[in-house]
Amino acid sequence: MIATVDRLRTGTIKRRLLRFLVIVGPGIVTAQAGNDAGGIATYSSVGAAYGYSLLWMMVVITLSLGIVQEMCARMGAVTGKGLAELIRERFGIRWTLVAMLTVLVANGGVVVSEFAGAAAALELLGVQRIVTVIAVAGFVLWLVARGSYRVAERAFLAISLVFLAYPVTAFLAGPPWGEVLRETALPSFRLEGPYLFLFVATVGTTITPYMQLFAQSATVDKGVTVQELGAARADAYIGAVFSNLVAYFIIVVTATTLYPQGITVQTAADAARALTPLAGERAGLLFAIGLFGASVLAAAVLPLATSYTICGALGWERRLGTRFSDAHQFYSIIAFLVVMGAAITLLPVPLIPLIVGAQVLNGFLLPVILIFILRLVNDRSLMGEHVNGPVYNVLAWGTTVFIGALSLILLGVTFLGLGG
Amino acid sequence: MPYLSEIQHRTVIEPNGDEVGKLADVAVVPQGQFPAAQWAILATRNGEKVLRWADLAPEIGHFRLRSRLANTPDQQLPAEALRLARDLLDKQIVDTHGAKVVRVNDLQLSEVEGQLRLVGADVGMRGIFRRIGAERLAERAAGIVGRKLPRGIIPWHLVEPLQSADAAVRLTVPHAKLALLHPADIADIVEEMTADERVAVFEQLDAETAAEALAEVEPEMQAAIVSDLDEERAADILEEMDPDEAADLLQDLPEERREELVELMEKEEKQDVEELLTYAEDSAGGIMTTDYVALAGGLTAAQAIDELRVRKPDPQLTYYLYVVDDEGRLEGVISLRDLVVAPPETKLTAAMDPHVLKVEAETPKEEVASLIAKYDLLALPVVDARRKLLGTVTVDDVVELMLPRGWKKRSLRSIAR
Repeated sequence: MIATVDRLRTGTIKRRLLRFLVIVGPGIVTAQAGNDAGGIATYSSVGAAYGYSLLWMMVVITLSLGIVQEMCARMGAVTGKGLAELIRERFGIRWTLVAMLTVLVANGGVVVSEFAGAAAALELLGVQRIVTVIAVAGFVLWLVARGSYRVAERAFLAISLVFLAYPVTAFLAGPPWGEVLRETALPSFRLEGPYLFLFVATVGTTITPYMQLFAQSATVDKGVTVQELGAARADAYIGAVFSNLVAYFIIVVTATTLYPQGITVQTAADAARALTPLAGERAGLLFAIGLFGASVLAAAVLPLATSYTICGALGWERRLGTRFSDAHQFYSIIAFLVVMGAAITLLPVPLIPLIVGAQVLNGFLLPVILIFILRLVNDRSLMGEHVNGPVYNVLAWGTTVFIGALSLILLGVTFLGLGG
Repeated sequence: MPYLSEIQHRTVIEPNGDEVGKLADVAVVPQGQFPAAQWAILATRNGEKVLRWADLAPEIGHFRLRSRLANTPDQQLPAEALRLARDLLDKQIVDTHGAKVVRVNDLQLSEVEGQLRLVGADVGMRGIFRRIGAERLAERAAGIVGRKLPRGIIPWHLVEPLQSADAAVRLTVPHAKLALLHPADIADIVEEMTADERVAVFEQLDAETAAEALAEVEPEMQAAIVSDLDEERAADILEEMDPDEAADLLQDLPEERREELVELMEKEEKQDVEELLTYAEDSAGGIMTTDYVALAGGLTAAQAIDELRVRKPDPQLTYYLYVVDDEGRLEGVISLRDLVVAPPETKLTAAMDPHVLKVEAETPKEEVASLIAKYDLLALPVVDARRKLLGTVTVDDVVELMLPRGWKKRSLRSIAR
């Protein structure tokens, strides 16, 4: 890979373009993977519950996401190391354990939501929850035991492209575009529990802790160097815009179709109805296929990636295809995540709220990871001249403080009844 | 054996007891097999201060400066010096053979040849727990579920630190030799290693050193090491061991493996070991050695001394010289001193002490131990039913029996700390 990249480094404009496309890629792919079960459920809930009034938030979050992803890509390119590794080497074992526990809990939440997403999707088609959950858990463990992901990954990624149906539906549904644009540009805010809950969930599902880890390791794996920072930077921002464009249209569609009828999203069937303008009777089927594909893809990749990250930071063997006894921590963490995800999904709780709840958990934990990122990216002995500039720092710390404050306010409102 | 995590952040005090700061780091020059700690980096109120390691005297729980900080000259770290905490701790170790990647959880230091040296990188779970101050807790928790907290030390001579502090530490092809160390030191280091590393070390050492080191290793681990070694190699090492120790070790192996190994040994050693293997493990026969000095009763003192000059027995075998008749039956004992001072023409039977304390091969080892303890003996002869001399049990063989398990190791470690 690196050899190919080297050959591309100099040469004609066409080659340079090709090289640009190689670098531009990780961000777009990871960002697209962000539109998983958690994303679909949360964005649908937001549009259905609050109409267009939260659209402005997507603009802010997109900027924040771009900034965070850019910092991670920059760290990857400058240091050649993953985020978890840098945390271990700069902050020592105690902080590493804090960070890895955060990652484990946050990603555990996401795994739960992927299982719940798969179950909710197939419930639409009349399959019982227990059947789906056990089948998906079995499939994921089988993939791990088999040790190869390539084909499965591509198949499911293709299926999840179904969600590009949302932008199309948005135009078919014919929303009042003037109002849509006005709400996009003008922030509004409410100090209410359910509102804040969905706000934090949206932040949590859009800027997930795991996406930052992946963005950085993808940059490292591509062998992006400091000279190519420009392209990596572009990739981070383009990726953020692309992924959130889909999210934006999910909110527009549900706000146009569900909100006026007073339908809040409690089940997958509620969410699926939003696609009626495009697919009519078959909206349920279309939605189920997309949700199932996206959920299973993430359910298969996340436990593996999480375990890989944790084992890398703690210095445990982490290769697929090794015997269990040679990499027992690696396999145990994967198995734990899969079994835990399946078990929690089998509890008699409504699936969509379960999914959204997991995104709130991610929102709560995000500031922890962001603080690590900011401390590292501003470490001159690590980043040299590539530390954040002052403006950048204001934006990035602003994002962190904003999200942290939001989480605290939500806790306050929920448990202490502040603000009514 | 102290670890970096145990001495880092310890308080450093003036000779009069005033606190001056904390030990922030230890620096070495990464040369030789086990680099010595040469500098101490102190975190004081006025920033970091580099001292010679020898300026600090380790005391329980803290370090004391040998002279006042103001009078202790500042040192300059040379460019090639490595700071253990900053440059090594938490870094990756990459095995040059494969893709295996581990992290340095802790660094093992040990008093070797009178100097505190860096002897290993702890890459195991134990190191992680130690770093967060939960080693004891984890040990207990593991004990509850009936397991041992695994150790994972890579000996330092197998690790090659790189020039740039940012890069990963590389694990080199095992080539250098631990053999320069005392076998007991090797055993201590080996006990802390991962199983693979352990076997690698025993593959490389020469058979004699390997045998001496193996004898010092904890019994359960001995059997594990020998099981993992290549058969030919294991047999070579067993031949070099004292027959009684080899037999003890073989006793702990599965029968099939034991027979294989005995079969591969040289004839002479094989006979000794086979004979010893016939005795129960917890009897005098099971713990005795077949190495001893027996002299025919008909010899004169002068002849006996000539005989010793020819045989050149190991020093520990010369405290007691056993006198036997033509059939090898034990008649008496004579000390080297008595032999030397006896008139040259005296027959051994006349100079010897015929009242020799002895046990039969079936005597339980506890009884043997208590006899040795009671009469302050250095060795006790073992005979069969017809009084034929079979071997001796030395005080070394029973010392470990008389002490609580693991006592010897633990006390040594607490002294080293």
